[in-house]
Amino acid sequence: MEHGSSKDLTASTFSLADEDHTLANSVRFTLNQDPRVTFCGYSIPHPSDARVNIRVQTTGDPAKEVLKDALQDLMIMCQHVRSTFDNAVAEFRTSKTVEDMKIK
Amino acid sequence: MDGVSYQRFPKVKIREMKDDYLKFELRETDASIANALRRVMIAEVPTIAIDLVEIEGNSSVLNDEFIAHRLGLIPLTSERAMGMRFSRDCDACDGDGQCEYCSVEFHLHVRCDTDQTLDVTSYDLRSSDPSVVPVDVAQHSESTGYDASEQRGIIIVKLRRGQELRLRAIARKGIGKDHAKWSPAATVTFMYEPEIHINEDLMETLTLDEKRDWIESSPTKVFGLDPNTHQVVVVDPEAYTYDDEVIKKAEAMGKPGLVEIYAKEDSFIFTVESTGAIKASQLVVNAIEVLKQKLDVVRPSEETEEADDQFGELGAHMRGG
Repeated sequence: MEHGSSKDLTASTFSLADEDHTLANSVRFTLNQDPRVTFCGYSIPHPSDARVNIRVQTTGDPAKEVLKDALQDLMIMCQHVRSTFDNAVAEFRTSKTVEDMKIK
Repeated sequence: MDGVSYQRFPKVKIREMKDDYLKFELRETDASIANALRRVMIAEVPTIAIDLVEIEGNSSVLNDEFIAHRLGLIPLTSERAMGMRFSRDCDACDGDGQCEYCSVEFHLHVRCDTDQTLDVTSYDLRSSDPSVVPVDVAQHSESTGYDASEQRGIIIVKLRRGQELRLRAIARKGIGKDHAKWSPAATVTFMYEPEIHINEDLMETLTLDEKRDWIESSPTKVFGLDPNTHQVVVVDPEAYTYDDEVIKKAEAMGKPGLVEIYAKEDSFIFTVESTGAIKASQLVVNAIEVLKQKLDVVRPSEETEEADDQFGELGAHMRGG
């Protein structure tokens, strides 16, 4: 990943290679949830280049740190969905076996 | 510093689960997350598929390339795929794609010696790894309603007397983004959960025939009539396809506001159908893992900031703010 640095650290554009809407749109959403973010958007400059640019502008914190936090939040969310999903599958399996036994 | 306060933790409920089919609810999250999950399931969860074919002998009616293409499309059981290496970054074989860490070898040798047409099917493929074999369609026949005796695997080519097919195939790990043959998903869809409110007072101003007429206007069976009370009830809210037909019908009948339908924008109903390469429930789990890996890759590489001049025009643009 590349980062366009400048004097003003509160506004940056991050360019991610080999990524697309999958990552960029969810990161953009997470960033927009953050009260420190004044503006966030992403673009895919050219459809045949596997690259996304994410623009982050903040109220004062370094944009890099805010982006890092957003990624961390998404990570925690993914972990949460994973464990909730595993629990839901296990729960479904047990309820299914109980049901099957009732039929017999 | 850490902004956990505005974070949401989604809820999951399984509706239906079979080996190759899964229906679940994902609540308290956003379309961007749901869509990321869907996109990863379709295009970025790895599976194993035949990628390289060496034809040793082919006297069938189909040409070599055609057969190689058909072989590639056969789904192979891919529980191993998450732990396997991509052959392009395998150091054991220098990206040759011929070693046990990144490939599975298949052999096929069939010759027809009878007057009866012989079907060459996925069952004729001999695998070097018992955990990576063509998906057994017959095994799932009970749940899908196929007649098991009809199942003969996936037909590759048909041979007549004297024709022969002999080949060696290398299966490799890959993702659906590179070629659809690696996609583990037959279909992955999600829909917003609809919230349907019937204006009961206004509904009661309708005659029985008008009610029937209105219910019939929906192309899917969303509404029904209670046989005892003659009240219009919601039979299946999820059958609603956001077609607006019932709303238009109500307006045409001169009863605007008869029904109000909203999409709950934080509740999603997922339908996942697998090709059989991996179980549908495992597909979801793998998708989350892949998404996590993607996030992980972005974080450390952030430290490796590159000089502005490497960007060229883009760098100049960014300096400008």
